[in-house]
Amino acid sequence: MASRPLFPPSAVDLNREAVLATVSLRRLGKSYGAVEVVKAIDCEINDGEFVVLVGPSGCGKSTTLRMIAGLEPISSGEVRIGERLVNALPPRERDVAMVFQDYALYPHKTVYENMAFSLRMRGTPKDEIRPRVAEAAAMLGIEALLERRPSQLSGGQRQRVAMGRAIVRRPQVFLFDEPLSNLDAKLRGQVRAEIKKLHQTIGTTTVYVTHDQVEAMTMADRIVIMRDGSIEQDGTPDELYNQPASTFVAGFIGAPAMNFVDVTIENGHARLSSGERLPLGPRYGSVATKAEGKAAILGIRPEHFQPAERSSQRLSGTVQIVEPLGSDTLVHLEIAGGTLTARLPPEARPSVGETIEVGIDADKPHLFDVETGRALV
Amino acid sequence: MATDSKRTGTIPRHAMAGEGPPPGRWSRLLDPGDTALAVVLLAPAALLLSLVVLYPIGRLVYTSFTDLALTSGAPAAFVGIENYLWMLDDDTFWQTTFNTILITLITVPGALVVGLGMALLANLPFKRKWPVRLSLLIPWALPLSFAGLIFAWFFHSEYGVVNDVLRRLGFEGIIWFNSPRWAMAAICLTIIWKTSSFMALIILAGLQTIPRSLYEAADVDGAGRWRQFIEITLPLLKPAIAVALIFRTITALQTFDIPYMMTRGGPGSSTATLAMYIHQNTVSFLDLGYGSALAVVMFAISMIFTALYLRMIRTRG
Repeated sequence: MASRPLFPPSAVDLNREAVLATVSLRRLGKSYGAVEVVKAIDCEINDGEFVVLVGPSGCGKSTTLRMIAGLEPISSGEVRIGERLVNALPPRERDVAMVFQDYALYPHKTVYENMAFSLRMRGTPKDEIRPRVAEAAAMLGIEALLERRPSQLSGGQRQRVAMGRAIVRRPQVFLFDEPLSNLDAKLRGQVRAEIKKLHQTIGTTTVYVTHDQVEAMTMADRIVIMRDGSIEQDGTPDELYNQPASTFVAGFIGAPAMNFVDVTIENGHARLSSGERLPLGPRYGSVATKAEGKAAILGIRPEHFQPAERSSQRLSGTVQIVEPLGSDTLVHLEIAGGTLTARLPPEARPSVGETIEVGIDADKPHLFDVETGRALV
Repeated sequence: MATDSKRTGTIPRHAMAGEGPPPGRWSRLLDPGDTALAVVLLAPAALLLSLVVLYPIGRLVYTSFTDLALTSGAPAAFVGIENYLWMLDDDTFWQTTFNTILITLITVPGALVVGLGMALLANLPFKRKWPVRLSLLIPWALPLSFAGLIFAWFFHSEYGVVNDVLRRLGFEGIIWFNSPRWAMAAICLTIIWKTSSFMALIILAGLQTIPRSLYEAADVDGAGRWRQFIEITLPLLKPAIAVALIFRTITALQTFDIPYMMTRGGPGSSTATLAMYIHQNTVSFLDLGYGSALAVVMFAISMIFTALYLRMIRTRG
């Protein structure tokens, strides 16, 4: 299964119609009684874009997706698909296809019947259904499974059939609702790459919901991070990683997560509670002056740490845990009363309890407001 | 195990457990040690079942070959198949068997259709679920004879609510229990009312095992409500419906209480069932030999229907 080419060149042409499949969410809101689960969010998804809605459980990402699909009534605001207001349209008239978390394959139908179902429901002639199912099956490498029932398939195969059922329709928009959460880690990585490749091949506008930041970072053209029903930040994976707008985004994107340390700004330096001082690089310029004497949160990614000899800016800490990953070594250090994780080269093997120095790239760390958690730069 | 190894002169099987293919479920069961254990463990249940099921059935079959009658005072004599031969010439037997099968053929599909409708209704997302569930449970929980009594009044030619409604609608009232056909109709309607809630409960349980995401997928795929019902609900309900049909058919073949309370089998024996005829022979006439023979026939009919259903399920599965 792993070595099979998924997308033979012959299967690329999907005869997409020349409509701009944009998705616009305008002041889109959802409440259940007094509980507001999606709070008037605005989001524009461009034609052909792969947008990932990501956030912790209960942040409203799945509800937003279901409102786009038409499976959840909209409480306020609008959803437009290709400039068409779809608020009042049932799912079948929205020209979207969805891949569900549990795949939602019809258990009594064969793979072929599952894939042909939507075409049949739309009155597509029989002699047209067969080649289209065959084409989609070829794209996903599931030709050999067409006569089986879902119960006879593995998790990865079911996932593929669910995708096949979606692409056979050639919809304007693909919607994915946490499609990888039922797969084991290895398969997840593989299918992730396949979905990305599929999107590169057919280029259909895609909205993908996940709680896994790795999926978001690896697949998205653009990531929309949601928290408590609102959009926390919206940007490319690089933007979110390099310029997180808040401690929430900073802590969510990147693994292991960013370290946060309470500091006080003094003369262009960040002073830790231990008394150690880190100079703030030139990019902090005016911020460092404005916040003089104030408390702030310093955000340091594990990968901002270096071996001590490579940097003049150093912090010293007591080694608590050493996690060798092969590619690099994660060292948990007690610094200024907190535990910070540093990603060091693989050969680094400090012993537990030892006090070591680690270097820091002075221009990399982030500064956040203590009260709002918003980024200061 | 010990004798086994002595006889063959090989290593006892459990000693080789690490080698060769792992023993399957059956070979493990057939292991003499395990078999003995299984017998010991199963014995109490088997004994109890024999006592309360097998023995009565055996006794019934035996009695059906005797002329045991509590009216004569004479000891029972073995008469072979005389009771069964008698049945062949017994018009009441044929009449009551016909009625029983007629009631089964009308009320089982009737209750299935009504019960399916009720289950679909009860499965709707009501804000308060308990009134719906309760209205499903009440007819089911009501004693059969009680239901028969209530409906006997509903269909009463002078005071019954059914005739009252008919007259208000401009029709003539029907003297339900004077005509074999109308009496049978009234009985069947009552049985359908009484039993469709049981069907509905089983089908409702089946409905609730169908994941909601299948309907959502079908919604997105373009299937309307009716297509969803035909393409998803019905096929996935098949097992639940089969179970409901088996249970309902067996109880329908044993119909007694409702016709007994409504018509006592009349007019004539036009609405009497086989169960009522058995009751009459054994309880009223104390003719246990003939009554037992009738009961054996009813048992056989039940077994035939059950076997048919089981076969149907197996070929579908």
